[in-house]
Amino acid sequence: MADLKIEICGVKLKNPVIAASGTFGFGREYNEIYDISVIGGVSSKGMTLKPRLGNAVPRIAEGYGVILNAVGLQNPGVEHFIKHDLSFLREKGVAVIANVAGSTLDDYGEICAALNGLADFVELNISCPNVKAGGMAFGIKPESINEVTRVAKSSLTKTPLMVKLSPNVESITANARAAEKGGADCISLVNTFTGMVIDLEKRKPVLANNTGGVSGAGIKPIAVKMVYEACQAVDIPVVGMGGIMSGEDAVEFMMAGAKAVQVGTANFADANAMPRIISEMNAWLDNHGIKSVNEIIGTVRMN
Amino acid sequence: MKDLTAIVKGNEEIAEKIYMLTLELTEDVGAVRGGQFVNLSVGDGSMLLRRPLGVCKTDGRLLSVCYQVKGRGTERLTAAKEGDELKVLLPLGNGFLLDKYKNIAVIGGGVGIFPLIATIREHCADKNFYSYIGFRNKSAVCLLDELGKSKSLTVTTDDGSYGIKGNAVSAYFEDVNKPAADAIIACGPPVMLKVLKRELKEHGVNIPCFVSLEERMGCGVGACLVCVCKKTDGENARVCKDGPVFDINEVEL
Repeated sequence: MADLKIEICGVKLKNPVIAASGTFGFGREYNEIYDISVIGGVSSKGMTLKPRLGNAVPRIAEGYGVILNAVGLQNPGVEHFIKHDLSFLREKGVAVIANVAGSTLDDYGEICAALNGLADFVELNISCPNVKAGGMAFGIKPESINEVTRVAKSSLTKTPLMVKLSPNVESITANARAAEKGGADCISLVNTFTGMVIDLEKRKPVLANNTGGVSGAGIKPIAVKMVYEACQAVDIPVVGMGGIMSGEDAVEFMMAGAKAVQVGTANFADANAMPRIISEMNAWLDNHGIKSVNEIIGTVRMN
Repeated sequence: MKDLTAIVKGNEEIAEKIYMLTLELTEDVGAVRGGQFVNLSVGDGSMLLRRPLGVCKTDGRLLSVCYQVKGRGTERLTAAKEGDELKVLLPLGNGFLLDKYKNIAVIGGGVGIFPLIATIREHCADKNFYSYIGFRNKSAVCLLDELGKSKSLTVTTDDGSYGIKGNAVSAYFEDVNKPAADAIIACGPPVMLKVLKRELKEHGVNIPCFVSLEERMGCGVGACLVCVCKKTDGENARVCKDGPVFDINEVEL
């Protein structure tokens, strides 16, 4: 039994496996299938200041080894989360990562202020590909990443700030550095890649939003490379994600330099994916005689 | 709600491009209600999404679902053969809750009939079902023996190649001898449910009507907010968790 405990920005996690935003709600539904206190953390559904109804349906499509989603940030608003969901996650003893999005800089400042001191991390969603205003617009250029990070950080005096980066950009390293310079305590990546699937009979995209975010096993090699590059570019901790389906996949991201990982799409393919990934990760470490998961972080050596 | 391994016991074409897949569950999951569904892996790792399929029959640990071959996933499912193992998450959704009702009109169309069959099977010993079932044409007609567990059964086809020419909704409203029902349950294509809602209003029918909806799903358990429908109060409801069965007056169709 290897030691899976990790610490990021002073926050202790019982293991490095975190539910990725948007795939896990606020944890209640999966807790009907297994006790979610076994996982390291939960990144909440992306929240905005006011409730949002999101996009029209269909909101999901499928390709080989991937899915596409375009939910469009449907959420009950941050106040609802604070009143109704926060204490549930707290009682479960998981790291609580409040994922937030805004349309303006002021939105980001205000929503971060509302969560300051309440969550273990605030994860800044500046890379949602499925909403028209804001979101992704902040996540493309280093200058705007720097600016939105500064605004968020100024509201977060008590809670570490995690900035979630989009892969749909010119330079992941420039963007990772921009977040670090803006005051991010850690970064997470990758969010989904933008994509489209066409229904041949209807000659229309399957998604009502036309395009959506691509995630799942098929994006993993691209995500691993981006995580590796980001880890080389910054000194702050990096949380890696993108197509993790197994414990070995999680180990791969950590070898690339990630201190923790997030698991999203795998939850749809297998409702018990996260406890399985944790036990597979543990088995891999045991089989390799490694006592602590911390020993594998960033140990990949380039040819 | 459990995710478990199921063993394929049968997988046969029961009508044109309609298959009945029978699974043996390797664990006990308790009672499965008519109108509830399962989230089934298609047995190919390149397809990450499970397929939500309404339960059609249960018998101890045997459970049957029916599916229409429509795309790559359902095409793959047709290859499942006896002895194969598939992962299945169940039971999901609310199902039809009929405790308060005794005489129930059933209106079903196409692949919407399967959750209705499960409901009829569940309650036919102590409730009376009066069924109006529509198919596209003769080649789509199936499971008449199961539907026959109703007190009465009216079958329609769009082209008149079997039963009465027409559809299930018109057959219901045109039946001058229809027995008095204290509730209606319905499942079928969106256009059928839309017409049903309009006709109920036009005919001033005010007995409760429960409809089972279908939508593309992600998690199947209510977490991802992919499969929403619009409620009449302007909010969204999750088809997988708040439904799939809704009061027809509660949802926009």
